[in-house]
Amino acid sequence: MARLLEKEIEMLKKKIFELCAMIEENCNSALKCIENKDTVLAEKVIENDDEIDDMEIEVEEECLKILALHQPVARDLRYIVAALKINNELERIGDLAVNIAKHMIELCKLDNIEIEFDFQEMMVKSMAMVKKSIDAFVYLDSALCYEVIIADDELDTLNKNMFSLFNEYAKKHPGNIDSFLRFLSISRCLERIADHATNIAEDVIYMTDANIVRHRKFSTINANRQSN
Amino acid sequence: MRNKPFFWCIFPSFLLISAFICILFIVYAQREFKRFYMDHTVNELKKRAMLFGERISDVSYQSPKYIDSLTNFDGANTETRFTVIKNDGTVIGDSEEDPDLMENHRDRPEIREAFENKVGVSVRHSITLSRDLVYVAVPMIKEDSVVTVIRASVPVVSMKEIIESFSLNLLLAGFFIICVSILISFILSRWLSYSYTQIIKIADRFARGDLTPVHINGFLIKESEKLISSMNSMARQLNERIQTITLQKNEQKAILSAMVEGVIAIDLNEHIIWINDAASEMLNLNTQVSKGKWIQEVIRNTVFQKFIQELLEKKETRNTEIAIVGGIPRTIDVQGTTIKGIDNKVINGVLVVLHDVTHLKRLENIRRDFVSNVSHELRTPLTSIKGFVETLLYGAKDNPDDLLRFLYIIQKQVNRLYTIVEDLLVLSRLEKEEAKSELQLERVPIKNIIESAFEVCEEQARKKHITIQYNTRDELTILVNPSIFEQALINLIDNAIKYSDENTVVTIEFKKQQKNVIISVKDNGCGISSKHHHRLFERFYRVDKARSNKLGGTGLGLAIVKHIINLHRGTVSVESNVGQGSKFTIALPDNRSNNLH
Repeated sequence: MARLLEKEIEMLKKKIFELCAMIEENCNSALKCIENKDTVLAEKVIENDDEIDDMEIEVEEECLKILALHQPVARDLRYIVAALKINNELERIGDLAVNIAKHMIELCKLDNIEIEFDFQEMMVKSMAMVKKSIDAFVYLDSALCYEVIIADDELDTLNKNMFSLFNEYAKKHPGNIDSFLRFLSISRCLERIADHATNIAEDVIYMTDANIVRHRKFSTINANRQSN
Repeated sequence: MRNKPFFWCIFPSFLLISAFICILFIVYAQREFKRFYMDHTVNELKKRAMLFGERISDVSYQSPKYIDSLTNFDGANTETRFTVIKNDGTVIGDSEEDPDLMENHRDRPEIREAFENKVGVSVRHSITLSRDLVYVAVPMIKEDSVVTVIRASVPVVSMKEIIESFSLNLLLAGFFIICVSILISFILSRWLSYSYTQIIKIADRFARGDLTPVHINGFLIKESEKLISSMNSMARQLNERIQTITLQKNEQKAILSAMVEGVIAIDLNEHIIWINDAASEMLNLNTQVSKGKWIQEVIRNTVFQKFIQELLEKKETRNTEIAIVGGIPRTIDVQGTTIKGIDNKVINGVLVVLHDVTHLKRLENIRRDFVSNVSHELRTPLTSIKGFVETLLYGAKDNPDDLLRFLYIIQKQVNRLYTIVEDLLVLSRLEKEEAKSELQLERVPIKNIIESAFEVCEEQARKKHITIQYNTRDELTILVNPSIFEQALINLIDNAIKYSDENTVVTIEFKKQQKNVIISVKDNGCGISSKHHHRLFERFYRVDKARSNKLGGTGLGLAIVKHIINLHRGTVSVESNVGQGSKFTIALPDNRSNNLH
């Protein structure tokens, strides 16, 4: 009986890793859209989301099936619960990627973009966080998780800077308000992607250390981690 | 304790054998002794009877009392029971009983035999004495007939006692023998088992992998010696085979590690059986960690995952291309084929070979872009010219104002075409020079070159009220081909002017730094985002096409600069950020020879 449970959890893992790969790729594509102003790629990103949604449903059904049939305990239970939550977060990241693509398409339709905003740093950092959090999940590495949680602060700061930048420019060039709003939305999407990556990291910590670190400040987390 | 089993194998057999022998011996000895003693006793009794017979041969029958007293007397002396029996069976005298009370003995077996002139022997339970006795009856013969029978007897008990004590001694001897046999079997089994244990130890050692040959004697057993030498030769062969296999494995590993292509072997459950270093490097993986894991875990690329799944399903060779985004962006060509089992039917997994085609793709892209750019660049002015010429032919030529205007436009377009073709020619000439690498050099002061370059750009700078600053007093010289190098400077200054706002300054600095001369052109224009930096010097690469076209650019300026600087064995680089202007820096080696090779 335990063997069957093991096999089912393995199947679940495979599916969820596939989902991770899809999300990572779609995210990367969305960010490439911003870089190259590529509307064709943006359309593709939106298309891919259907597959991602289907996969997300499959993963959730698989989790519920395991819970119903096998009533796992201890480590397995933690894994399934964390998998359900991470599944959710991944799907959110996927949606945010789609949002970015949509904003990009609308942005490219406008033709009076005089000011360019450089999202390079935000994109690189948020993508790195997504990758790291997925790595942490795949390898169950809690050290990586803590790195992700720390990195979230940087992105919040960057978002705030973007915000004040927009504010400044908007006052100077009120005619370009449409494009500014789009840029602002994109910046917010990037910041939220980072947040979801952080949530994934926290869920992984729960899985590995059985320690719930959400809603706590970093100093407490660090203290806890050193005591573990 | 390994001895026990062996010991318990040998000992029971020994025990059994020695016990068996002991028992046999005891039984045989007992019987022989009994027989011997019996014979001896019978002989003794016979002699005693005969002696007694002689004693009473002279005495007449008429004195039975005398005979009886003789039997008592001699019987007591010799501890024998004598019985004298007349030839009719009546007992005349007896050492122990009153003869008158005794019944007729003629039917007694030994007596009967004696009557027949034989020595009668019998062992019987005597009713009279209630004891077992040995009877020996000897006939006394006078004139060929039996006159009397002298019967001598002794109790069996005395014989029995002797025999019993003899048997007891034998038993003790038997126990002793058994003990000795235990000892011997113990020693023997220890010896054998010791030699066995040693051989087992050697076999264990071989089994563990230590195949050094053994040099011990056979513990005095020839077969052991043979066994040991067989084991030695077996170990030697094993060693050779293992070495061969290890060698082959190392060769295989070396070959696969040295390959530039990546190789991945994947089993039917999508686990990575094996992956070489090149593949790990291409996919940003760790070789050690990846082995045995699912591809979904380590290679997070959906195209690759789907490819593998299809390969496992359809079981035919196919290929595809995947793009790696994390880290250094690459394009990898993936070729997959199935791994067949020994009988060539069963599929054990799939083998994937990866080629890094990033460079190829990039060159392809550059070429494609170049061709499409050139055709586009050439077509635009040509379309324009064509249109205006047609308009003129269709009647505009009759209107002098239109005629003039259109001709001016046509001229402008022709000039533009000319510039583009010129630039392309310059570029191809530079490439040829690069191939030739025989450049004519002169030593000239830098400020002179800047001055001549400035002259070409002066008009443009004046229109935008842009000032060009440089140190007119510094006499620093460089070794260059003046006309070609001037072209490079012109292009840089031209760019600086083009992309700067009005009323700004363009600064040109030059200095000597160690073995190089550094020349930089700095502007306060719109700047270039860092993501374009690595492609800036490509042909026709433009950050903003629309803007560049508007400003009359061809996209070839910086490519030309790069070629020129390469010809001079120098380097050119850019420092820039959006909104912060740009600074282009040339570094030329300054060795004091007249010819560059």
